[in-house]
Amino acid sequence: MLHDMTAPVEAEILGDEAVAAWAAPLTVEPEIEEISSLSDAVRLCLRISGLLRADAFSLFFIVSQGDAARLAPVFDTSYPGISSLSRMLSARDTERFALSACKSDQPVWWGGRDGRDFLSASALPWAAEVASPIEQAGIAFPVSQERGRTGLVVFSGSAMNVDETHLCEAHSRCFSLFAHVARQRVQDCAKKPNVSKRELECLRLTADGLTSDDIATSLGLSVHTANQYLTNSTQKLNAVNRIHAVAKAMRSGLID
Amino acid sequence: MNAIAITSQMQVRQGPITMRSELASLMASVCADIHADRYMLVHPSVERGPKSVRIITSNWIFDALEDFGSVGIASIIENGHPSGPGATPRALAPATAPFLSKEEKRALLHHGHGELYCQKLIAGGTVSFAIFSAAAARCIDPLALRRGHMMCSYAVSQYFSATGAQESNDPLSERERECLLWVSEGKTTDEVALILGVSSNTVNSYIANAIQKFGANNRAMAIATAIRSGII
Repeated sequence: MLHDMTAPVEAEILGDEAVAAWAAPLTVEPEIEEISSLSDAVRLCLRISGLLRADAFSLFFIVSQGDAARLAPVFDTSYPGISSLSRMLSARDTERFALSACKSDQPVWWGGRDGRDFLSASALPWAAEVASPIEQAGIAFPVSQERGRTGLVVFSGSAMNVDETHLCEAHSRCFSLFAHVARQRVQDCAKKPNVSKRELECLRLTADGLTSDDIATSLGLSVHTANQYLTNSTQKLNAVNRIHAVAKAMRSGLID
Repeated sequence: MNAIAITSQMQVRQGPITMRSELASLMASVCADIHADRYMLVHPSVERGPKSVRIITSNWIFDALEDFGSVGIASIIENGHPSGPGATPRALAPATAPFLSKEEKRALLHHGHGELYCQKLIAGGTVSFAIFSAAAARCIDPLALRRGHMMCSYAVSQYFSATGAQESNDPLSERERECLLWVSEGKTTDEVALILGVSSNTVNSYIANAIQKFGANNRAMAIATAIRSGII
């Protein structure tokens, strides 16, 4: 997939001015939320909670066991403690709620005991109503890491007010928050395998269906070297064979 | 500011999106919100082999599609670093994209696609892509796009569950999928045969079928394709 595309070609198509405009760095940087610890994540979640005017939040990992699903709390409003919201939702009798929440990609909401409708008319078609798992009104955003863990971010409160813009904004932020949290968990558990650039290149080409011979030709290596790279990366990823190594590397995001 | 425009349009609609025309009008309103000119919703089409796509809906003019071609769209999806939900959207300048051929670059620019954003939607258990484009660089508002991204996901997921359209993205039978899953976990043919309680020949034929359906060269490529399209 290598094209010899050099600057003159771009200039020929676009004009020098436009190429220069692209070479300059982007001036409008979208806000970058840096998360280095769990307390940073809690702080960000608090901000999302403010956006929705919720009183409490809780982030869960979804643990599926065959046909059943369970919510495992990660952190919540009472961090570093565990709030009653987390306790109630991770209890055994809310299993049906967990199942209905993680089956969908869309937010689910419930009105609570007084059945209050806190979603605006514009937001209503985007979220599904479920039976109240707890007394207070709330909304749950299903989140997932690409090819990885899935989770649920729940907000509840008596004065919530959510319109379409806030719904999308909050869900989008929950996704990025969850990606950070899940990645951190993985890094805590196992150190990132120290796979070299060359080894990754070989894995990527293997994923594209190339054999060792093809890889050797395209990278200008001997077949033995290409095989050695693949063997090394298989060992480093703690995989049993090449295909396993490719699958592991893809699932952990080392290659696309 | 622009969110108001979207909201007022949405209040007309009640209930979930079930028809393609509703999906198209939603995409158009997202376009307006993020300052994009064109949209395209595509599926990577594994059953038609690699480098092919199925367009769900789009407002690209016919000539632009004809000139740019589905191979071009497939390479944007593959190499354009699509951002997932919640991730910071990344602009793609067709003029400087190393993975597009000279003809493809020319076609895009000629038809007024000076800036592209490719967003990965994960809805209904499958992966699809929303490509937004504008005539000039930096027209599209990346912050609004992050919100628009979620709305596209919701809409696509409603549309899929109403039409069952996502089914065709998974050409594999349940058994074939199961075999690939175990192979991706590093199991050998004999081990998979033992796990599934069938003969090794059967396992091999399931896997050969899967390889053929994906248009893959070998097992490794079939596994990679299946993981990329979210099947396993």
